[in-house]
Amino acid sequence: MTAAVVQLAPPLAQVTIHNRTGGNASCVAQNKVFCPGWAFDNFDRYTTPLLNQLLLVVVAVAIGFAVAFAFALFSHRRRWLIPTFTAATGVLYTIPSLAFIFLLLPITGLGWTTAIIVLSVYTLQIIYRNIVAGLANVPSESKDAGRGMGMTDGQLFWKVELPLAMPELIAGLRIATVSTVAISTLMVFANVNTLGAPLYQQIDFKTNIVIAGVLSILMAIVLDLVLLVAQRLLAPWRKPVKEAMV
Amino acid sequence: MEPGHQAASVSFRSVTKRYPGQAEPAIHELSLEVPAGEICVLVGPSGSGKTTALRMVNRTVEITEGDILIGGTSVRERDPAELRREMGYVIQQIGLFPHRSVGENIETVPRLLGWDRARAHRRADELLELVGLGAGVRDRFPNQLSGGQQQRIGVARALAADPPVMLMDEPFGAIDPINRERLQNEFLRLQNEIRKTVLFVTHDIDEAIKMGDRIAIIEQGGRLAQFATPAELLMAPANDFVEDFVGADRALKRLALMRVRDINLWEAPLAFVGQATAEVRAKLDGAEVPHALLVDSERRPRGWLSETDLRAETVPKSPDSGPDPVLDLDDVMRDALADLLQSETQYAPVVDAQGRIAGVLSIEIISEFLGSPDAKVEEHTAAERPLVE
Repeated sequence: MTAAVVQLAPPLAQVTIHNRTGGNASCVAQNKVFCPGWAFDNFDRYTTPLLNQLLLVVVAVAIGFAVAFAFALFSHRRRWLIPTFTAATGVLYTIPSLAFIFLLLPITGLGWTTAIIVLSVYTLQIIYRNIVAGLANVPSESKDAGRGMGMTDGQLFWKVELPLAMPELIAGLRIATVSTVAISTLMVFANVNTLGAPLYQQIDFKTNIVIAGVLSILMAIVLDLVLLVAQRLLAPWRKPVKEAMV
Repeated sequence: MEPGHQAASVSFRSVTKRYPGQAEPAIHELSLEVPAGEICVLVGPSGSGKTTALRMVNRTVEITEGDILIGGTSVRERDPAELRREMGYVIQQIGLFPHRSVGENIETVPRLLGWDRARAHRRADELLELVGLGAGVRDRFPNQLSGGQQQRIGVARALAADPPVMLMDEPFGAIDPINRERLQNEFLRLQNEIRKTVLFVTHDIDEAIKMGDRIAIIEQGGRLAQFATPAELLMAPANDFVEDFVGADRALKRLALMRVRDINLWEAPLAFVGQATAEVRAKLDGAEVPHALLVDSERRPRGWLSETDLRAETVPKSPDSGPDPVLDLDDVMRDALADLLQSETQYAPVVDAQGRIAGVLSIEIISEFLGSPDAKVEEHTAAERPLVE
């Protein structure tokens, strides 16, 4: 156990990266909020963490979606299972992320596997609830008409219910994606070089914090926009409505 | 048009529906024979089970006891999904798919049946014409159409695979009264062409009388109170419930089902300008109508001759009173009666399409018709009856 706790320390100790090279030395020395010169010269420090984090988010949300969708599909015609699934994914959602990494250590150790498991488990609650809500909001007359015209249960699900639940489903993906971007910085504790790594390397160097923080926020915004566009494309019948804030 | 399916008869054989946990059945031994090509209206107060009865036909509600035969084949022997593809289904809430265009909505059943895209497209365009919307709306989404247009699409969608049977559950119930009237008339005109077997559920007796070739009145507890043509129903209600349900104005409702041409008119003594009044007076003796009607050389009514007119040597050009109201053979009887009452006259000349005199209608004829229990008029199908615009 002690060994595990030791392993949970961030992989890199605090170092003074700003004393290395590049930029306007006086800006760096005064630790101003943002030193553009330094940022320009040192941007390559952030590319690998950025790409790692993006990959982590995309994979985690994709896996979380696949699992949540399977749960939703399974509980769709077994409605009594919905409270159970909701409660179970809710309990998982409440585990603190550091504790979660710690719990997985004996099984998957440190690394990508642990990070992906933690992040995808957190998405389950949000995505599952949104799919279930979307399916519940499909107008009953559309289902009645579909069944009355001779659609089988499967046809009704894929041709009517799922397309009509799509806006809510994607709304769920959007919330899950944005929150996953935020939590994924912490995966530095699982030894994945995300944007959390430079953040943690020198927490008192403001330019560093600004770059890592802004990149993380930009990633969340861009991914959200991509999903927003997908939502519009997949639900062309809906007049544009104000989306709920995430 | 696609090669049509023959309309099929529908017969209920002592059909009972019991829901688990309910002491009373929702439908109690219902037996009905609906001949192919007719509109049968199931009407009754809410909770009478009429929708349940309809839904057992396409097995969206399962039959507990008894059977329903479509063209002689039991619905119980059919795969429910396949059975439903052979029946048009129209519901009050319309139930268009909001995520599919008008065209895609109409193509639903043809696509389920495996038609290719081109054939389904052609059929959708054809149906859009048939329901009077035109191919222009085919790429719109349902929420871009008015309620009346949506319901027309609902009907077009139900007709897409040219089903032998149509099930319509309060199809016009959510439409405002003016548009409802229009949609009812449109559907009856359509039915005149397509001659489907239609089962039509409503709680509105006026709609039932208007739309039905036959009407099944269902009482609370899912029992059939009477199954008859609208005229029979109005003339001879089977029990107090039916009498109550059809309303105190059933005499007037009967008159709304017929045209002036459906009743035996009286003959008026005719007079021509310049004719000797002695001749006219001779005709008046023992005539059904005690007044002489002045007509022109084309036998078009010009007016009624008064005593003063007849005192002259010859029939004058302009009589004391005009011919109004002049009725048409195609007028709805109820409207004709209203005209008579409004103009406070006993008699009104009736003319044909060319305006020539065809006979005289009197309040007496109408009241005699309503008073005699066996006074029969020729029965018309709903599609052939007068449409009140």
